[in-house]
Amino acid sequence: MSLEIRLEHIKRDIPLVSPTEALARCRTGAVLIDVREAEEIALGTPEAARALGRGYLEMRIGDEVPDTGQPVLLLCAATTRSLLAAADLRQLGYRNVAVVEGGFNRWKNEGLPYILPEAADADARQRYARQIILPELGPAGQALLGKARVVLVGAGGLGSPAALYLAAAGVGTLGLIDHDRVERSNLHRQVVHRDDRVGMDKTESARLTLEALNPTVRIRRHTLRLDAGNVEAVLADYDLVVDGSDNFATRYLVSDACQRLGLPNVYGAVQGFEGQVSVFPAGGQPCYRCLFAEPPPPELAPSCSEAGVLGVVPGIIGLLQALEVIKLITGIGEPLIGRLLLFDARRSSLRQVLLHADPECRYCAPGREFPGYADDPHFCHS
Amino acid sequence: MQDASVPATITIELPAALQPLAGNAMALPATGATVAEALADLGGSHPLLLSRILTRGGQLRPHVNLFINERDVRSADGLATVVRPGDTLLVVPSVAGG
Repeated sequence: MSLEIRLEHIKRDIPLVSPTEALARCRTGAVLIDVREAEEIALGTPEAARALGRGYLEMRIGDEVPDTGQPVLLLCAATTRSLLAAADLRQLGYRNVAVVEGGFNRWKNEGLPYILPEAADADARQRYARQIILPELGPAGQALLGKARVVLVGAGGLGSPAALYLAAAGVGTLGLIDHDRVERSNLHRQVVHRDDRVGMDKTESARLTLEALNPTVRIRRHTLRLDAGNVEAVLADYDLVVDGSDNFATRYLVSDACQRLGLPNVYGAVQGFEGQVSVFPAGGQPCYRCLFAEPPPPELAPSCSEAGVLGVVPGIIGLLQALEVIKLITGIGEPLIGRLLLFDARRSSLRQVLLHADPECRYCAPGREFPGYADDPHFCHS
Repeated sequence: MQDASVPATITIELPAALQPLAGNAMALPATGATVAEALADLGGSHPLLLSRILTRGGQLRPHVNLFINERDVRSADGLATVVRPGDTLLVVPSVAGG
């Protein structure tokens, strides 16, 4: 059977819909699948489309669309590949399959919304090739990373590994908040800095390293100590906050500001051989205060500068924070919301506990007025 | 079904910061029918350790969390939460290092 005859046969069974109709169906629950090659998708794809190349379609459709009764729309450059893909999906039992007539070319010509994945240029195609190839990420996920604005509170033990990997992954804008300068005693864990930068502002030292690693990432420096007067102005320019601070005052300030601004807070903290990671959701529960309602009194708080830490531990925790950031931005997997990961380096154990959303939390319980920022003199400063 | 009034021996797992108060043990056994009773048992042999978990008034310190088998006791019955033989009570204080 020639291709033309086969396509004619398929058209008898598979309905064709216009791009406008396809967009409307997407908004009412249909799944739009872009079956084109990665190089084509890199030049633009409908915002709602999931990239699923023809080569892997049959193998991956079950994960993307587990319900064979779900309406599925297929899109290629014109119509041919979508029709062939539609016939395959029919054979796999998908009952409600349609093809976008005219494909992405017509979609674009009709002025319908589409995104230009970050991987459009050759540099990005090479730089992110090994992660774009992951079906869970794809060009669309890479584009989301490129659009994201992430701010790191602290360019220290946690912020260093997080910043390195977020820059490497192609997060478009990285903000760095730190008022400190690089000290030699930082270097066993704060691996974004270097020995020849001792004395330099940490934000500048980190910028130099990160731009050398990935010059396409925009680095914004905030060389200041966060306080109640500046925290909102700084954080409001970002989509997501990574708490890698080294003192309780900043942690509570960041948590409260994230609640007020509706920003997700990717939390990490370390001491000695142990670390904690969680994600406090944007404007939701639980928050950091649900977990730890108050800081420890000074007589029970270990001295922040003297508690000590094995450098590898913030390395691991900071990378877990970076991982959660990427998951939140791209929607991959299940974020660490409502769960606390506890890492113990001596046992090489990573365990999870479930967090309790405090129904009386002054900061995140529904319907509460923002009570203002605490100014507790008992806080331990590094 | 375990009777709530029957004491159970559980394992109390300690964070590194509290281990010096427990003879450097990572975990200690304790017996009681509830979290409060198991902690009181712990406090009998390690009073200083207990003082880092509970206030003088016997309340859980606000910077400390207790988890029974991964569940926060505050989401159950707090210190009155019933424990069963073999349970693990995990002590998680806040840390601020970064």
